[in-house]
Amino acid sequence: MFEMSRSDSGHLAFRGRLDASQAEKTRAALEELRESCIIDFSGLDYISSAGLGVLLATQKRLSESGHRLRLVRLNRHIRDVFHIAGFDRVFEIE
Amino acid sequence: MEQRFKRSLDALEAVFDFVDRFAEVHRIDETAAFTARLAAEELFTNFVRHNTGGGADIAVRLDVTDNALVLALTDFDVDPVDFGRGAAPDIDLPLEKRPIGGLGIHLVRSMVDSLTYEYTGRTLHVTAVKNLEDMHV
Repeated sequence: MFEMSRSDSGHLAFRGRLDASQAEKTRAALEELRESCIIDFSGLDYISSAGLGVLLATQKRLSESGHRLRLVRLNRHIRDVFHIAGFDRVFEIE
Repeated sequence: MEQRFKRSLDALEAVFDFVDRFAEVHRIDETAAFTARLAAEELFTNFVRHNTGGGADIAVRLDVTDNALVLALTDFDVDPVDFGRGAAPDIDLPLEKRPIGGLGIHLVRSMVDSLTYEYTGRTLHVTAVKNLEDMHV
């Protein structure tokens, strides 16, 4: 199960498990983004390469117009996945 | 503990449930359980996407032996595939040069202690082993 919500301040929040079965609908939702955005990962338990691909595609698209994603409150396991993938060098992570 | 799953990404939820049940019964710590979930998903989706000639269900097996967690996936009646032998991705590339995809097997290989492949009699068998030393089994 994966859920994505948007706060009044415009931040996105991920919750649950971002796996291959959730990648397409997440990709479609993130295509709505046109400006820099903070994504709160505190409710996200798990991410796989499919989820990383969705985030990378979004980051590449936003960077073309000078914008970017900022990822906050990643759990230790997800932080490890980002490090192994080298994504801690292409995303701003707090 | 073994279970067969429909060859579809829709089966992933059931695959995760299977891994979670095993982890709970065998008191696998969260670090190893996370690795098992990720390895199971990456290998399973690889079978679904690339072994398209296969029509049978995919078998997923988990065991704990000799202080190691052993995950084995078997794909039946499939053509030979060059599974997991591609070049490792360049994770140092800048954002604009990073390709989308190609990270799944790299993640698995980095997070487990061994990853082996065997193809015999139109059956592909992939085994990932995660050592449980210093972990709470």
